Amino acid sequence: MPESVPKGRAGRRIAIPLMRWGVAFAVGWGVPTPGLAQTPPPRDLTQFTLEDLMNVEVVSVSKKEQTLAKTGAAIFVITQEDIRRSGATNIPDLLRMVPGVDVARIDHSTWAVSIRGFNGAYANKVLVLIDGRSVYHPAYSGVLWYAQDVPLEDLERIEVIRGPGGTVWGANAVNGVINIITKNAQETPGGLIVAGGGSDAQGEGLVQYGGHIGQSGDYRVYGRYSNLGKSDAASAAQPADSKRVQEGGFRTDWNLSPRDLLTVQGEIRLVDGGQTVTGVIAQAVPDLGTFGQPVADDAGNLLARWTDKNLNGSEISLQASFDQSHASASVGDDWSSIGDLDFQNHLSAGRRNDVVWGLSYRVNANRFGGNDVVTLNPLRRTDPLYGAFVQDEIILTKTLTLTLGSKFEHNDYTGFEVEPSAQLVWAPSAHSSIWLSAAQAIRQPSNIDEGLLAVSSVVALPQGLIGLVTLSGNPSTKVERLRDFETGYRAQINRRLSLDVTGFLSFYQNLQTIEPLAPYFTSGGGFPHYVIPEIYEYKAHAQSYGAEAFATWNVSDRWKISPSLTMLNLSVLRDASSQDPTVAQVAGYSPRRSFQVRSFVNLGRGFEWDQTLGYTGPLATGNIPGYLRLDLRFGWRLGEFFDLSIAAQNLLQPRHAEFPDSDFIDHMQDQRSFFGKVTWRF
Amino acid sequence: MARTLSLILLLGNALQLRAQAPAFDEYQVKAAFLYNFAKFVEWPAGTFPNSMDPIGICIVGLNPFGSTLENMVQGKKVGDRAFAVHRFPDTLQAGQCQILFIGASEWRRTRALLEAVKSPGVLTVGETDDFTALGGIVGFRLDGARVRIQVNLQAAEHARLKISSKLLSLAEIAKKQP
Repeated sequence: MPESVPKGRAGRRIAIPLMRWGVAFAVGWGVPTPGLAQTPPPRDLTQFTLEDLMNVEVVSVSKKEQTLAKTGAAIFVITQEDIRRSGATNIPDLLRMVPGVDVARIDHSTWAVSIRGFNGAYANKVLVLIDGRSVYHPAYSGVLWYAQDVPLEDLERIEVIRGPGGTVWGANAVNGVINIITKNAQETPGGLIVAGGGSDAQGEGLVQYGGHIGQSGDYRVYGRYSNLGKSDAASAAQPADSKRVQEGGFRTDWNLSPRDLLTVQGEIRLVDGGQTVTGVIAQAVPDLGTFGQPVADDAGNLLARWTDKNLNGSEISLQASFDQSHASASVGDDWSSIGDLDFQNHLSAGRRNDVVWGLSYRVNANRFGGNDVVTLNPLRRTDPLYGAFVQDEIILTKTLTLTLGSKFEHNDYTGFEVEPSAQLVWAPSAHSSIWLSAAQAIRQPSNIDEGLLAVSSVVALPQGLIGLVTLSGNPSTKVERLRDFETGYRAQINRRLSLDVTGFLSFYQNLQTIEPLAPYFTSGGGFPHYVIPEIYEYKAHAQSYGAEAFATWNVSDRWKISPSLTMLNLSVLRDASSQDPTVAQVAGYSPRRSFQVRSFVNLGRGFEWDQTLGYTGPLATGNIPGYLRLDLRFGWRLGEFFDLSIAAQNLLQPRHAEFPDSDFIDHMQDQRSFFGKVTWRF
Repeated sequence: MARTLSLILLLGNALQLRAQAPAFDEYQVKAAFLYNFAKFVEWPAGTFPNSMDPIGICIVGLNPFGSTLENMVQGKKVGDRAFAVHRFPDTLQAGQCQILFIGASEWRRTRALLEAVKSPGVLTVGETDDFTALGGIVGFRLDGARVRIQVNLQAAEHARLKISSKLLSLAEIAKKQP
């Protein structure tokens, strides 16, 4: 790009002393010719005319650092550029870039995603929201990641908050919140067609169209199909983990009046996948076996959100959502209807107080399809969850802000729970801040914790007898509790480099354990056998400390590097009264160290070359070795309408394991894969 | 071998380093705009009790300029008036300010800050996307690598400020959301 030379300077040959910085530049040697200007323009911007100022190219630091300048929590924002240039085709792969988040692929249909430890196929310590709607599945007490397939092209951003303190949202934000936000319909006008294909029989097609409705509304409608074949046979005896998604949805956004916004959105999604399961086979005499099992989720949801900004500066929002799904997973089938109503009011109380408070009501109506191996008691259950929160951000001085808040929840298992939090932020300038936080959070119990009845294993005993190991829920459920202390530093160090560092110390109590009860002999079921019963108790505690750091370095105008580092020291110990031998393994499901470097290069003329190199440490449980992973993407933006890309994942090895068998699901190895994609906007 | 490959690939990116085209920092340019606004805006009669009173530029909340703004306006005058730069935690003392800047870090209380500016003759300037929609008079916006200005004429009239047509011709005119 030719450097802009301010008008009025042409032909001058005077060296002009500039600014307080004492830098002198000589200007205009000869007649400056656009495109050949070799000399830097004068640096005294006060000499520039208005037109000049509007033509100057600026190096802008990301607004993220400023909008986060007063945030007293560890937050990472995945932007649209991060999403587009990652080469990822699903949300868990996108989450790999966030320090503090453990992402492990169990098979093509199944992911283990957690924050700061406690990972597993049904990891239950993270709240995952899509546009404010919780996708935590109450019956499985976890997130079915295979069922969350929002088109990545429609994502505005993903905010990941590690730790419990920074949240005002609902239940289960114990180790953090993953908040997936889709674009407003105003931002997706026109047509969009995406087609992609790759190895492992991977294919994808998206057709979307958006436009105006009347004077004040915008809409978009989409349909999408995606397919992924099974892992290859070298991974395991019987891969069964193909996955197919058919989905369609819409979003409408209305400016009802200059003060009122209304969003209505909905989608229907049919997911068919599979897993290889090693578990108890329900038959006359139960036995263990390994078999392919379909997993599926047929779901639909509808959400409406109304925001009103009224004249005295306060803002009200009301959100209602309804979620209906029929899921089948490794532990059984479930029909679920979830209704949620959320009210929030944001107002300024006095000069120095910024208050947000809200009420929420959520009702889960569940019907579990029990069988002889896994069932819930009762099979049908309707659980209301009442919540309220209040948070006050108090400006103590120009640079010091204190935020105090608490969540209050009432559930049908343990009654009333309180989760207070406090954050202190010192921001000496808009470019750097230091924060401290302390918070308490709980994991809301679910029907599995109280009502599970399952045959979890079959053991061979002497004299040809068998023993059935059973696992039951505990009617006296307790809540798992976290007390968490964190600190962080966030700075725009210079115009090319920004840094964000967080340290945390967390104490967990009442973690769930499996305790043995006295075995007994029975002839029930038509055959004599022993029963070795086990029951859920809450007799473990844990302590974890660690740090997460990430930086953004604009090495040049065309090259950006984003490194990140995660350190986690988690020790999970059983209480004196516990006899659960598996407690020692829980900490081993997350790596102690991982780091990642992402590199983005603009080669010019619309060509892009993006790389991600990451190291994930070994998992002590299941003997999963650490692995180094390289993903590459080559992209070409042809004008405003076309975007082509080829991406490769896992280039360094043909395959590697990321997670051991979990919750009866046999793990597959994640393979080297290639994917090409064409995006056409019109 | 694979590790060597990955290192080579990453180092290969270093070939993309080029001689830097000098560019300005976003806040240097915004500071220059604030200085220029004093030349292209007319304040209502009675704004300045004395002819030697300085033009007050106030930054509310966190300061994204560092010392750039103060350095830039030191010793400069518009007409006979010099500049004075102040910083405040809120907008109650807005009466001392002819130009009031609210940065992006105050995004959560921008509306409240604007509502609290009761005296006329205050040119409110901001940089969040909805600044003019919330009643701010001038909003900065980045269009690629260039700084653009949005002006809310109704808010300017309400503050009894006259913005010269020269400035208006370069700005995007925005409508207020009441």
